[in-house]
Amino acid sequence: MKPVKALVLTGYGLNCDHETAYALTLSGAEAHRIHINSLIDGTVNVKDFQILVFGGGFSWGDDHGAGVVQAVRMKTNLGDKILDFIDAGNLVLGICNGFQTLVNLGLLPGFDRNYTQRSVALTFNDCGNFRDQWVTLKVVSTTPCIFTAGMDTLELPVRHGEGKFYAEEAVLHRLMDEKQVVLQYALPGGTPAERQFPFNPNGSVDDIAGICDPSGRIFGLMPHPEAFNHPTNHPDWPRIKEKQKRSRENIESVPTPGIRLFQNAVAFIRDR
Amino acid sequence: MTHRLEIALRPELFDAEGEGIRRKAKDYFGFEIHSIRSIQVVTIDADLSANQLEAIRTEIFTNPVTQLSSYDPLGIDFDWTIWVGFRPGVRDNPGSTAVEAVEDILGLKFAPDQSIYTSKRYCLKGGGLLIKDVNTIAGELLANDIIQQWKIFSMDEWDPASGTGVIIPKVILNHTPKVTTIPVHSDSALKGISDERGLALNPADIPFIRSYFVDKKVLAERTLIGLSDPTDVELEYISQARSDHCNHNTFRGLFRYRDLETGETNVVDNLFRTCIEAPTLALKNKKPWVISVLWDNAGVARFDDEHYYVITGETHNSPSNMEAYGGAITGIVGVYRDPLGTGKGSRLVMGGYGFCVGPRDYRGDLRPHLHPRRLLDGVIEGVRDGGNKSGIPTTFGQVLFDPCYLGKCLVFVTAVGLMPAKIMEEPAEQKKTSPGDLVMMCGGRVGKDGIHGVTASSETFSEHTPAGHVQIGDPYTQKKMHDFLLEARDEGLIRFVTDNGGGGLSSSVGESARFSNGCDIQLEKVPLKYAGLDQWEIWISESQERMTVAIRPEDLDRFLALSKLHAVESTVIGQYTDSGKLHITYDNAPCAFIDMDLTTSGFPQWEFDAQWLPPERRGLHEPVLKAPGNCRTLLLDMLSRPNICAKEWISRQYDHEVQGTSVVKPLVGAQRDVPGDAAVIRPVLGSSRGLAFTQALLPAYSAIDTYHMTACTIDEAVRRLVAVGADLDQIGGVDNFCWPSIQFHPQHNPDGKLKAAKLVRSCLALRDICLGYEIPLLSGKDSMYVDGHLQGRYQETHKVSALETLQFSATSIVKDIHKCTTMDSKVGKDLVYILGATRNELGASEYYSHLGYVGLNVPEVVPEAFIPLYRALGTAIDREIVASAHGIYRGGLGVHLAMVAMGGNLGMTIDLGSVPADQVHRDDVILFSESAGRFIVTIDPQHQNAFEDNFSGLSFACIGTVAEDSRFIIKGIDGTNLMDVSVEVLKIAWKKPFGGLI
Repeated sequence: MKPVKALVLTGYGLNCDHETAYALTLSGAEAHRIHINSLIDGTVNVKDFQILVFGGGFSWGDDHGAGVVQAVRMKTNLGDKILDFIDAGNLVLGICNGFQTLVNLGLLPGFDRNYTQRSVALTFNDCGNFRDQWVTLKVVSTTPCIFTAGMDTLELPVRHGEGKFYAEEAVLHRLMDEKQVVLQYALPGGTPAERQFPFNPNGSVDDIAGICDPSGRIFGLMPHPEAFNHPTNHPDWPRIKEKQKRSRENIESVPTPGIRLFQNAVAFIRDR
Repeated sequence: MTHRLEIALRPELFDAEGEGIRRKAKDYFGFEIHSIRSIQVVTIDADLSANQLEAIRTEIFTNPVTQLSSYDPLGIDFDWTIWVGFRPGVRDNPGSTAVEAVEDILGLKFAPDQSIYTSKRYCLKGGGLLIKDVNTIAGELLANDIIQQWKIFSMDEWDPASGTGVIIPKVILNHTPKVTTIPVHSDSALKGISDERGLALNPADIPFIRSYFVDKKVLAERTLIGLSDPTDVELEYISQARSDHCNHNTFRGLFRYRDLETGETNVVDNLFRTCIEAPTLALKNKKPWVISVLWDNAGVARFDDEHYYVITGETHNSPSNMEAYGGAITGIVGVYRDPLGTGKGSRLVMGGYGFCVGPRDYRGDLRPHLHPRRLLDGVIEGVRDGGNKSGIPTTFGQVLFDPCYLGKCLVFVTAVGLMPAKIMEEPAEQKKTSPGDLVMMCGGRVGKDGIHGVTASSETFSEHTPAGHVQIGDPYTQKKMHDFLLEARDEGLIRFVTDNGGGGLSSSVGESARFSNGCDIQLEKVPLKYAGLDQWEIWISESQERMTVAIRPEDLDRFLALSKLHAVESTVIGQYTDSGKLHITYDNAPCAFIDMDLTTSGFPQWEFDAQWLPPERRGLHEPVLKAPGNCRTLLLDMLSRPNICAKEWISRQYDHEVQGTSVVKPLVGAQRDVPGDAAVIRPVLGSSRGLAFTQALLPAYSAIDTYHMTACTIDEAVRRLVAVGADLDQIGGVDNFCWPSIQFHPQHNPDGKLKAAKLVRSCLALRDICLGYEIPLLSGKDSMYVDGHLQGRYQETHKVSALETLQFSATSIVKDIHKCTTMDSKVGKDLVYILGATRNELGASEYYSHLGYVGLNVPEVVPEAFIPLYRALGTAIDREIVASAHGIYRGGLGVHLAMVAMGGNLGMTIDLGSVPADQVHRDDVILFSESAGRFIVTIDPQHQNAFEDNFSGLSFACIGTVAEDSRFIIKGIDGTNLMDVSVEVLKIAWKKPFGGLI
């Protein structure tokens, strides 16, 4: 079987590369951490990979809007190669700072397969501060997103200061109509958060936490699936464990929802 | 040609930054401003065409979805507008990244005299503000005049065409670098020069320094290379190396300790040697997991067979006191360079913090440089940006309020790294320089920032402290350097690495050259931020984000190639030699020629008189206090005390789970809002082994006896680790002392001898308790001179000395993370146990403090008596028969039962009559005594027999049950209900003080 090769970007202040590569490896991919400059100088070619991950961090310090300078650098130096990568049917994942970069590149939302138009934004949290907390996410059932296939609700951590999803009314309608909204912040039971803090931690319009392009192959989300790579990452795990012990449930070892998301990506490439 | 671009959020969008300022203006000063809109200002000092300007405006600086921008002033309505920008020479991180982006998109390179500067403009509307109010907002909320400048405009005086005008904070020195020779014909002349130049040389050192430079043999050698009298470069070097900050003269001093009660006298020669080094070396022999201690930037201990962990702790008090944000971010980013510069380098995996500040709502007469509320906000934000942008989880921290920190705040920062045990078959913890190795400077450039930072923190803060020592750390530049150096390490390129912190190159090169025994440095090769620095300034500047690295000449090309890949600047600035001399030149002209061993030999030891008066003799006694009738209100009020209450807003701002390693988070429990005993991470992602980390601070006990303060602080840290399931036999400690000045002076420090005795007692306890619990001190630092001089109501000046403070950080191994416990009760009907005996130890307790007393009976620690209990708890956790475990700390049993209940969101029924107590017959004493050595544990009733067998022969008892609802009921010794209150009500009280903060 040919390996599924995943490229995780590093350098210039990105910082979730180790655990993202680990999550991909757990999911069956061959993961490589590659410095942005190695792509720019041609030492590494993105066309040798099938999954491209823009991970979390503070690229270029995020001083001029999160992900903005990274998007400029990528567009100026690698724009066409990335478009070719997408045309070849591959997968692109943007997590947190990576999501911010994808929307600034215009890879998302990618209306009409135009992958260069900026039409949505991730801006400063309404709460006015960086925030680390776990959120409940509802997967929109009609989404074509490859990564969330078979998932209904999941919990993941958010860790950002600029995660408020914003777009004009018409753009929002179009996102909904074209089923590009993938994840929405929800109450613990799974019902919509309706912008209620802290369940919607940043004031995102329509509780949007993640969107995909019309093909479902480009996916960006603010929460961090790679930070739920082990059951003990979940804040409630000691409580869950204690209750399971009491009920003498057989505790099956199942992949965490964070890992499932990467597994879906690997399976898609393998099966295509 | 300059261009000023203004950028703002579209008017229909909520301006969170502006709103945050509006809220603070109301909270801090009571101003009712209607709205504040913020504008980012980018000032471009470069010749760009109209097309180029438009390209960067749309492509980089303006988000088409959310922002508007213009090269003319934006027409946002205001009554007042305030422009805030950096002063010249202050690090402008956004300005630097803007240059990178502009160069990239336009495909050009900025000339050395071209740059981009960022600033901000705020539009204030409503509230009927007067000019003095606007000045208050500008000077006390938006800007700090040490690093920033501001301009205020009213609507009437605003010119919509020119706006704020164009301000370019460029440094222009117009100075030709010059080495000055300093005549040393007498000690008094040298003393004069020391004072004049701010060298802070210790008067006792001066004759020795002078004797070196007038020595005939030395003079003869110096003449040969063209030097005679010492140069400013040399004296500055000696001053840095001899500063208390670098050399720890106080801890290495001679203490004549006298107990005034018994008349006993005891000379302690060198506290570091006797109380830190000797016990740690003894323990290292016993514990093979201790890998490398007492010499490097951080201590090294074994994590598993293939990995070592690395830890150190620092303080950054003086700079944070001056400029809270800049001081704190520089502190955290700086301490992160220590593990990076330990052995051949380690990857950072975790950070911690401790903040000691004045009361957040202080309304007294003293005028600290920054009000505690603003200071705390700035410190929190500095550690937030420094940690988050470094991609390192901040997993644990604590905040302590006390008026004694009005004089100088304390900012503790702790860093934990991880290194492979071997790099290319060589031990990773070892490093050395060899003759012929190149001296590389990597990372940021050198400017005037931070000059005399080390010597300033060795002096008491006063209005004359040079503001120049404040800087702003840049985690972005450092993160690039961190990634680069680790790659270079893994390729085997690094022979030696150390950070440029206090003392700059002077310290890092000086210390690294001791291994090879000499170096030749060419100062003109050091890359500068701007021209015109004198040679001595280049040598001692503390410009941040720099490491000094030794590499073999044959590795230079590969090293520079990797450096370029990571966009990090690396420069050869000299070569290590075995000449025995530190030899510095500038354009071939000699600047310094000093024996390598000068700064480590022959200097006179500092001496201190230490006089101890036991607390009774100082007039301390137990208060005459009858038992309270209303324990319910008392407990609620205790929970609302600033040092007990919830501080969730701080933990949430810190990314505590980046790297994907989180096992036990800073906040735990059903509602994820109660602080855990310790943090646990899984630093090697593929392994089930964990690393637990915690900290403790109990300065209140110093008011009675620093011996017991120290003992209790260490005991608390030990219990915190045991409570989460960490191994009692692999605890490593880090001691961070913060002490007021101990040098007696009849007018300036009349109680100096007592403070010195308190330091001796604290160190003795550190030795005794660490030996008792077998805790090697992996690392530690001391920060003396925690005093400030504050103006009062009548312009009189008060000296405010901090309580003698020790932060103790501790780590240990968790063999299997799946067995970790947390402190929250888990299931209704579970049994509640208390482990350990409660004694009448309310001295300096939170309870006494609440009632306005100090008392006398401070808690005492008896390691040999406590260890069997801790070991038994460890066994119970390992057998997975414990549902929750929590130490009883500040506030006592009542407060910590409430914590366990709030954690589980389940009530409890507790019978105080069952609590194992030693001579205690009062409910309030049982509830609030802070006796050490105790835990609260909840267990599944089906494990009752196994659990009780496990503790047989030890002091423990079942004291109640976990409720299935939220009723929290405590019955007194006589069986009556002392309180019946819901967990919700407890939580409201506990969250009341800071619950509204985000």
